[in-house]
Amino acid sequence: MTFFGVILGLGLGTLLAIGDLYGGRVLSIIIKFYVEFFRGSPLIIQLFIFYYSIPNLLGILIDNHTVGLIVFTLNSAAYQKGYIKGAMESVFEDQMTAALSLGLSKAQSIRHVVLPQAMRVVIPAWSNEFASMAKSTAALLVIAVPELTSNLKAIASWTWRVLETYSFGALIYLIWISVVMKILDIIYNKVKIPEIEITA
Amino acid sequence: MADTVLECRNLWKIYGKITAVKDVSLEVKEGDIKLVFGPSGSGKSTLARCLAMLTTPTKGEVILTGENLTRSGVDLNKARARIGFVFQHIWLFHHLTALGNVELGLRQVLKLPKEEARERALQALREVKMEGWAEHYPAQMSGGQQQRVGIARALAMNPEIIILDEPTSSLDPELTGEVVDTLRDLAQKGTTMLVISHEMTFAREVADEMIFIDEGAIIERGPPELFFTNPTSERARRFMARLIKRTRRE
Ligand SMILES: Nc1ncnc2c1ncn2[C@@H]1O[C@H](COP(=O)(O)OP(=O)(O)OP(=O)(O)O)[C@@H](O)[C@H]1O
Ligand SMILES: [Mg+2]
Repeated sequence: MTFFGVILGLGLGTLLAIGDLYGGRVLSIIIKFYVEFFRGSPLIIQLFIFYYSIPNLLGILIDNHTVGLIVFTLNSAAYQKGYIKGAMESVFEDQMTAALSLGLSKAQSIRHVVLPQAMRVVIPAWSNEFASMAKSTAALLVIAVPELTSNLKAIASWTWRVLETYSFGALIYLIWISVVMKILDIIYNKVKIPEIEITA
Repeated sequence: MADTVLECRNLWKIYGKITAVKDVSLEVKEGDIKLVFGPSGSGKSTLARCLAMLTTPTKGEVILTGENLTRSGVDLNKARARIGFVFQHIWLFHHLTALGNVELGLRQVLKLPKEEARERALQALREVKMEGWAEHYPAQMSGGQQQRVGIARALAMNPEIIILDEPTSSLDPELTGEVVDTLRDLAQKGTTMLVISHEMTFAREVADEMIFIDEGAIIERGPPELFFTNPTSERARRFMARLIKRTRRE
């Protein structure tokens, strides 16, 4: 869940960053509202809103998992948009100009020059994103998606071994987060441009 | 008479309160080498970028072989592909090798097939004597080598004119020589160029016309001999005196 949320969030976040930077004023304002909403309100509230109001509004039934994934994606995208935009802005005004000078279109410049470099800058920020998303999966409890915390709760209430069960849970979180961090580290070192140390 | 490749008429660029380019008109003919110079902040880079339509002029016209680029509806990407540009601060693509830098425009803009793009990119690198560095990344090269790749990147597109914005000013003095040599080679081949530079020895050797700019406007223009012997304007006279003194010291 965390994993897919962050990956989908990356895709959406990238689009948002591009829209904000190059899409004109109106789009930029809309994106700003979107980001404010998802960054400014607690994840639990967002889950509630989507879980209870979307089926009513649209008249469709969606299962818990889908709601969870949608909200995670939207939420993660709001954060990642910030990192990606920052990365694109910081280094890439000049890179964009150089690409345009060759006759590349704006879209081509973004695709072949700006994004490949922005992604490399963003990877360290991703680690944080994964860690915080993994922790917030606990919020899914409220719409009863059987994520780790809720499983633990059930186990704890069966076994009455509350402390052990939750310690075990914490351990699993820890392992999961460090595995993801390690993978990101490997990806980062793999795509890193030789001789350039990127600090984000 | 040779044909006019690139010209501007009554060009202005205004940033808020700053007038960076002030009513500049000039014309570069096929095979011409124009050398633009002037004090720091006088608007040289801005003029160069307007000519390449990398920024939109506030007023005036830019005309590339008869086509008015300042009209609306012009495909600027196509026009930019026909104008080579070499940047003051080099600006290679950091994530691509020398070869990748040169190939990008050939593949994405000219849509050449892989093999052909590679051949042509290697040829361009050869012309700037960087073919041995094809697989290296910018960060692994010296500034002079990077700038030569920058020149190859522009050259490979086979542009009708190359605009070079102070190609040696961000380099250590001992590295400027190799880049100036590359420029000399280009001049020898009859490349149409507008060069912003304060390399006065180079200017005297190759320029057909020198253009002195101050506070955004053309103050004086003429053959190098005019500037080296007896500039008319007081400002050009003083600036030349300073430049020549500096050249002697080096
Ligand atoms: N994007 C911009 N926004 C605002 N002002 C600008 C911008 N670009 C240039 N200027 C201003 O326009 C003037 C001319 O700048 P420009 O870079 O063209 O000078 P230059 O002759 O190339 O100087 P240098 O020799 O230092 O490269 C300067 O006062 C500069 O501050
Ligand atoms: Mg400049």
